[in-house]
Amino acid sequence: MIKRIQLYIALLVLTVGCTTLEEEPVGLLEPTTFFKTPADLQAAVNGSYAYMASEKYWGRRLPLTLLLRGDMCAIGDLSTALKRQEVNDFTMTDDNGMVTDIWPQSYAIIGAANQAIDGASIVEGNPETINAIAAQAYFYRAFAYYHLVRLFGDIPYIDFAVSDVSTVNDIAKTPEAEVYQKIIADLQFAKENLPNVQPTRSQPSKATAAAYLASVYLTLKDYQNAYDEAKFVIDKEATFNLNLEADFQDLFDAEKAGTLTEPLFTIDFIGQSNDGLLGTDYMASVTGMRADETPKSNGGGWTVSVPALKVFDTWNERDYRRAVSFDTTAVFNGEVHPYTEFANFSPLGVNRPHIAKYYRYPGICGSNERQSSHNYITMRYAEVLLIAAEAANEITGGSTEAIGYIDRIRARARNRDGAVSNYPADVTGSFSKDQLRDTIINERRLELAFEFKRWYDIKRLETGVEAFGPNGLEPHANFSESRDYLLPLPGDELSRNPNLQPNNPGY
Amino acid sequence: MISKKLHHSVNLYLLGFFLFVGGLLAQAQERTITGTVVSGTDDLPIPGVNVAVKGSTQGVVTDFDGLYTIQIGDPTVTLVFSYVGFVSKEVKVGGQNEINVTLKEDVSELNEVVVVGYGAQRKSDLTGSVSSIKDEELTAYPVQSAEQALQGRAAGVAVQSNNGGEPGAPIKIRIRGGTSINASSDALIVVDGFVGGSMPAPGDIASMEVLKDASATAIYGSRGSNGVIMVTTKKGKTGKTTIELNTSYTLQNVNHQLDLLNADQYAAYRQSYADDYEQGPANTNWQDEIYKSGLISDNQLSISGGSENAKYYISGTYYNQEGVILNSNFERYSFLSNVDLDVTDKLKVGLNVFGRRNANDGVLTQSSSGGAGGAGVVSAAYRFTPDLPIYDDNGDYTTNNVGDEIDNAVALARERVNETKTDLYRANFFAEYQIVKGLSFKTTFGFSTTNRMQGRFTPTTLISGAGVGGEASVQSSKSSDLLSENYLTYKTAIGKGNLTVLGGYSFQKNKYESVYAASRGFVTNSVSYSNLGGGSVYLNPDSSFSETELVSLFGRVNYDYNDRYLLTFTARRDGASNFSENNKYAFFPSGALGWKMSNEDFLADSETISNWKWRASYGVTGNPSIPAYGTLARFSEIYSVVGDNIVNGVAVTVLANDDLKWESSYQTDLGVDLGFFHNAISLSLDYYNIQTKDLLFARPLPEYVGLENPYQTQNIGELENKGFEVTLSTRNISNDRFSWNTDFNFSTNKNTVKKLPDGEDIFIDSAPGHFLQGQTQVLREGEPVGSFYGYVYDGVIQEGQDIPNGFENEPGGELFRDINGRNENGELTGQPDGKINSDDKTIIGDPNPDFIASLNNRFTYKNFDLNVFFQASVGGDILNYTLLELASGTSNATTEVLDAWTPTHTNTNVPKNGVREKRITSRFVYDGSYVRLKNLSLGYNLPKTLLARLGVQQLRVFVSAQNLLTFTDYPGADPEVNYRNTSNERSNTNLGLDYGSYPNVRSITTGINLKF
Repeated sequence: MIKRIQLYIALLVLTVGCTTLEEEPVGLLEPTTFFKTPADLQAAVNGSYAYMASEKYWGRRLPLTLLLRGDMCAIGDLSTALKRQEVNDFTMTDDNGMVTDIWPQSYAIIGAANQAIDGASIVEGNPETINAIAAQAYFYRAFAYYHLVRLFGDIPYIDFAVSDVSTVNDIAKTPEAEVYQKIIADLQFAKENLPNVQPTRSQPSKATAAAYLASVYLTLKDYQNAYDEAKFVIDKEATFNLNLEADFQDLFDAEKAGTLTEPLFTIDFIGQSNDGLLGTDYMASVTGMRADETPKSNGGGWTVSVPALKVFDTWNERDYRRAVSFDTTAVFNGEVHPYTEFANFSPLGVNRPHIAKYYRYPGICGSNERQSSHNYITMRYAEVLLIAAEAANEITGGSTEAIGYIDRIRARARNRDGAVSNYPADVTGSFSKDQLRDTIINERRLELAFEFKRWYDIKRLETGVEAFGPNGLEPHANFSESRDYLLPLPGDELSRNPNLQPNNPGY
Repeated sequence: MISKKLHHSVNLYLLGFFLFVGGLLAQAQERTITGTVVSGTDDLPIPGVNVAVKGSTQGVVTDFDGLYTIQIGDPTVTLVFSYVGFVSKEVKVGGQNEINVTLKEDVSELNEVVVVGYGAQRKSDLTGSVSSIKDEELTAYPVQSAEQALQGRAAGVAVQSNNGGEPGAPIKIRIRGGTSINASSDALIVVDGFVGGSMPAPGDIASMEVLKDASATAIYGSRGSNGVIMVTTKKGKTGKTTIELNTSYTLQNVNHQLDLLNADQYAAYRQSYADDYEQGPANTNWQDEIYKSGLISDNQLSISGGSENAKYYISGTYYNQEGVILNSNFERYSFLSNVDLDVTDKLKVGLNVFGRRNANDGVLTQSSSGGAGGAGVVSAAYRFTPDLPIYDDNGDYTTNNVGDEIDNAVALARERVNETKTDLYRANFFAEYQIVKGLSFKTTFGFSTTNRMQGRFTPTTLISGAGVGGEASVQSSKSSDLLSENYLTYKTAIGKGNLTVLGGYSFQKNKYESVYAASRGFVTNSVSYSNLGGGSVYLNPDSSFSETELVSLFGRVNYDYNDRYLLTFTARRDGASNFSENNKYAFFPSGALGWKMSNEDFLADSETISNWKWRASYGVTGNPSIPAYGTLARFSEIYSVVGDNIVNGVAVTVLANDDLKWESSYQTDLGVDLGFFHNAISLSLDYYNIQTKDLLFARPLPEYVGLENPYQTQNIGELENKGFEVTLSTRNISNDRFSWNTDFNFSTNKNTVKKLPDGEDIFIDSAPGHFLQGQTQVLREGEPVGSFYGYVYDGVIQEGQDIPNGFENEPGGELFRDINGRNENGELTGQPDGKINSDDKTIIGDPNPDFIASLNNRFTYKNFDLNVFFQASVGGDILNYTLLELASGTSNATTEVLDAWTPTHTNTNVPKNGVREKRITSRFVYDGSYVRLKNLSLGYNLPKTLLARLGVQQLRVFVSAQNLLTFTDYPGADPEVNYRNTSNERSNTNLGLDYGSYPNVRSITTGINLKF
């Protein structure tokens, strides 16, 4: 009998001893053991890129903030969320809902890039292959910090994968100038190691890194380096397979996005995500017309971000780029109506032309044109030419080389849907440095209209007082130079780490 | 009658005694006594009754027909007839050779055996707080699930549907309040020993025990803190085969409709603030268009019986409900088989097999956002303009012409497809072996699997499907559980005391797998979700897998001394794979004392007090809600598109937390059980205090850490639940013709947040998304969970009134109370500042009721039985988002607006008509108290004499009504409300919210219970 009891006890002990309670996740990957091959590294790099294609970043929050902040775009429907109006009206507070999404999502992109960069040292394989992949992550990290530093100034800078929160709980902000140097270092590594051409424009190439270096130097007013980097790209445009698209409209047609050779970097959407935020964009929705029944519209847009009428009225109607940039009619009750009647058909509508670059050809999309298949271009060859022009003019006032770059862009703009027009004409006459700078900046304003560049131009050239003054396109009497060139750091982040205090001036 | 017979035989005996006295003395040494034992309730024989000779070990058991035969030597002995659930009876043998006995059912319940974790105990020996619910209470009226039948049946147990009268709506059970904030507060369900089981059909349940205090629940350790519901299914009994058929039909109707404007009233209302409004062509009552009579058919057939060595119970059920909204149906089939075998005297084995399908064909209600194309069926019926018809001139469904663009309610009910099928199979085997007298070993091995498939389709006839060519999705999941438990039980007498020791171990493993696929752009609406490949745009698919393991050691010691002093120690040690690296094992002890004071000499002879027992317990239990892999750092696959192709993308989504622990509840329970007048009155009182510590909170991390969701789950926070429970049962009248029994339950629970991360308020957003209103509830130290947060409404601004500068400053506008402001440093002062802004938001309501109660009266008169069951909830507030929305000027409105302020009608609390932001204000917080006649039923048992001729044992016909009467001041559709309350959406904090729920129903049921 005793033996039998012993047997039972032995059985008990045996069975208990059978499991170690160690978790072995299947389908979930562990950071410490994940990196083995270059393909694993590429997957981690893709993670960083994927976070850009989120509603919380390039799907809406960041481009909408940049649009509204500038002078080319105001609020349409005045009942839209207050956080958007605050961005547009320079009345932001430190709990603004645009900032509180852009901030963490920017760091998610950086965090994922840091994971990939750390992983590159573990992966086994050909060092060149590994560096070429890691260089994408360096580029994404630089891309995210470049936006952050322009939006916020001094920011916390982290360039390693955080595994223990306590190591970064109480870090201080890194000064703006230092952040720029780190961005330049990352881009230089990227330029060094990326291939001349990538299979797709959604992956950065050597030219992409150089173009961004040019942009960073231009922002820092380091014109020689800006010129050199832009020139590096222009001189090898054939190697890098870069062109200006023949038809300006094609740049904003989601169905043609994959075939273009003008973009240097795009953020891709395919309109098929069901994640909710990742892979989801709303730029067509927020710029489109309320209650519009154009066949593609699927219920119309939301009239959130609509240019002031002056932007449209002051733009020469012969400019093909105006026709591509604006929708001036919409369909209501089966009939085409001009923009002067938009408000008659929806209480939320406004009688102004709407942005067409995203709404007109959204490709595959859901209702209200949400979840489009646009590939948003963050850098295209036309901008590289304009950077070269601006830098050249700053080095040599009235540079003819600079004028040559502008004329290339104008020549393309004259191709009006296959028929060549005579507007905009080539630049003629001689210019002072200031005159040519004005011409170049205005060319940037029109060529790159609604492409999220204008606010950064106003900020780097410090032309806000003029832009938002009584004669500007979008007057805002309360615009403050000492406050509004920077956004507020999110208040809750400052309370989590008081070492980040104080907030930017005026907030 | 019986006593007469007995008297008769005593006379015979006396005669015989005198005849045979003397010379026959030797023969009297060995005699055979025979007889039959029957039940006093139904005169049917009882098999398995112990017939023992008092004071000796000699004894036999009655057979199938209640017959026994026993040899006795000494005519002076006494025979003891005992059987569980009956009052034992002693008979002196004397000269009788045939002794027929009638046993009375034990109604005092004190000797009733109740099921506890890994065993059973006499109710009188319990030291913990346990409530029992009997089968007849569970089947008093038709319910779709047994959980629902628990409502009002036990003190301290709150039960509510998550969505009114929706067919198949999940039922929420809270035992002694919600003991957590972010983790589930759902009770652990144990079915026939299978831990984490799913309820069988109500008709298959023999009893349910609710284990409430730590003494009772600590044996379930890390899963015990929300209370445990022990479910015991019906088993076969030795005896003839019994066939039971129960069938009922129920007719249901919507309990209460909202009083909305008709087309003329609506046009006038609309024109009062939008003068260009032109009245539409129709007059549609949208509630009438979607509501209809519902029908339930509830059927059960069971066969049970057994020989001396084998017992069986086989049952099948079928429940079919057509809901009161168009196209909302629920169907349930189930079968259950319980087989128990006595292999030898010492070895018993049994197998319990359960299978069930739930099929739900639902409509969307309680939508979390009712923006463009997103309205649920019920809120669409409320909001939609009454002057529009169902179809426009082209024969298409109309869409709303004011406010958000929404589909009409008829279109939503008819067109949207949402079907769920859930199949559950469970098999549980046990073997019990008596090693030596007093020591037995039991092993169980069980497996359960749940397969669920949900198919959805939004056709092009609805707004959200129109733009995308229809959208279809299929989600499928499979969850399987394996459980092996082994334990030894040892019982022995030590002097005047009895000792029971239990010890064992348990191993449980759960696997969960899921798949999701969806596509858009279909050529036709006719294929629904059955051909995802037919879409032109494929949405990215998803799948997952997770596994958890739990190994446990558990033990319990019960000691009772002299049937007066009771002692219980319980402990469990759980090791779980989902626990963190540094906290893999958790230990949960509890201890309890009981004192049966009524057995002390000074009370033993009391005529008044028949039972007086004190109970005290203290212990720790846990809530393990840490998801699988939740403490590990991990890379997750994320949706990633490069060059228009979906590619592999991974990112770190969670940082490791090597110290994360389960939540722990420290519970004290003090109770007293009293019985008066031979337990004709029994009363139980319990006080409890539960301190939950180490609450799991997702704490925000500095966002520059670099996660997409920069949160880490940490153990911060404390919560308190305190309450008082009263259970009173009385047998008011009991005689041959008439009986009247009453059961009364009363319970309070006070819930208080004690500690939050950094002591800071946590705000919760529960308003429907399209309200664009955040911070609707607040978690604040010292306040109850779920407190509503908003502006205090002070009525309508009157002409010339001195008012703070607010959202509206014109006469007729809404006036809010100015209660707070800021000084020049931007700090809150707590003083009015003449301005109304978000600083003036405050706590405006508490959804937790002051008490819940129920009163059940059972009357029998001859063959009639009458049951009257009231249930009440008092003192809980309700925030009604429906009424808030209907007052915002962007939809149809309730007739309240007919009383709106105008310059000539100023004596009113309703502001002037107009479009308003949907702010959260005390204007829409109401007292949700109610008393409800939950069930009224009248039954009639056909006379036995009549039935005998038909070969029928019992035939009862009944008619009953549910929710016949409701007493409440609540102006919404129904005071039993829930919104955004499913387990993955703040089930602890979203309390007392009302928005677009499926309506509650009033039902009339007729049925029969037939037994062969």
